[in-house]
Amino acid sequence: MIEVVLNDRLGKKVRVKCNEDDTIGDLKKLVASQTGTRPDKIRIQKWYIINKDHITLKDYEIHDGMGLELYYN
Amino acid sequence: MANRTDPAAKSIRGTNPQNLIEKIVRSKIYQNTYWKEQCFGLTAETLVDKAMELDHIGGTYGGNRKPTSFMCLVMKMLQIQPEKDIVVEFIKNDDYKYVRVLGAFYLRLTGIDSDIYRYLEPLYNDYRKVRRKSPDGNFILAHVDEVIDELLTTDYSCDIALPRIKKRWTLESLGALDARKSVLEDDFEEEEEKDENEQDGLEEEVAHEKDYYRGRSPARDRERDYRRDSQRHRDRDYDRDRDYDRERGRGRERDRDRDRDRDRDRDHYRLREEKEYGYERDRDREREGRERDRRDRERGRRRSRSRSRSRSRDRKRRARSSMSPRMRGAEDGKPPEESKKKKGKKEKDDGTDHLDPEIAEANRIRASLGLKPLKL
Repeated sequence: MIEVVLNDRLGKKVRVKCNEDDTIGDLKKLVASQTGTRPDKIRIQKWYIINKDHITLKDYEIHDGMGLELYYN
Repeated sequence: MANRTDPAAKSIRGTNPQNLIEKIVRSKIYQNTYWKEQCFGLTAETLVDKAMELDHIGGTYGGNRKPTSFMCLVMKMLQIQPEKDIVVEFIKNDDYKYVRVLGAFYLRLTGIDSDIYRYLEPLYNDYRKVRRKSPDGNFILAHVDEVIDELLTTDYSCDIALPRIKKRWTLESLGALDARKSVLEDDFEEEEEKDENEQDGLEEEVAHEKDYYRGRSPARDRERDYRRDSQRHRDRDYDRDRDYDRERGRGRERDRDRDRDRDRDRDHYRLREEKEYGYERDRDREREGRERDRRDRERGRRRSRSRSRSRSRDRKRRARSSMSPRMRGAEDGKPPEESKKKKGKKEKDDGTDHLDPEIAEANRIRASLGLKPLKL
């Protein structure tokens, strides 16, 4: 179980617990349930690399405590 | 200049009509080349020509959420605000199905509730196929009546949040609308009778009886809507609902009665119960409390989520479990608590009964989203 931090630099900072083999799409659903936006409106980025929905966190090498950027579509 | 609303246009729902589309999507449309090239200086007449050239509907797609030409035209209509007659003409025209869908969409955004139902419901009879652009850029097959159903029942379509409209039965009870008459009324009657004999009829029967008391049309509409909406999802929802209940330890009346009887017969259970009751009481009580909270929360969420399930079903479920488990337990003595605790331990393999409340909560959210529990 890892915990990632998503920050949108406008005041929304969310800590989400998830598995390493969750996909980005699942992570977006979890974030959506915490922030209240819709999951398809969320874009998760790491410095211009937009993370795609069907790839797992493990493949993106997202580890425990890592910060991701939260943008909106 | 090009993006400003016509100054003579009236405000829709208290705001600039273009604000019906949210900021980010709006900016995407303004930056789109189709908007800049083709939609510049369109009037109501030239808009019709552009609408006839449409060949798909959809919201934003692709990695950078590009809007479709359908959305650009919707935006243009919001900007120039054609008259209601023109919009109704769009809807009534039979030749161009995309023009029809465009008109229907615009009416859904800007019209008043009774107009929306009045003009959009005849479109339920249009079974033609339309091409729909999915968010990942591929085309999906859809039908006109599916799209209309989505417009009337959900509050989000094509990446635009649809304004809230009153439910149909509210308008019917106000007298603003007549009861809904479907073209397939006779077919549905036959189906109703057939299904009643097949299905595990408890709740259906109650719904049907309530119809008879209520007088046919509104409840029948509801049932029909329920059927129409959930024809596809019914089996899935129903099974999921039943399993869901059982997993949560809420169970159905029958199961609990059976357990209760079984436990009462066995003496050694009762002896063990009394021994455990001492030190496990606190943990039990805490879990009961948490279960009750969870149940209340879920009930609330369930209520708002289940649109396709008939309301009488909800009422029946609520009536059944309206007495809190504590009170039920107090009536029958210790066995119900014991059986519930046993059932809880056996059937919660999705981690929602984890000791750490944070992890239990996270697992509960994951289960509701359909994800596997956290691996610790």
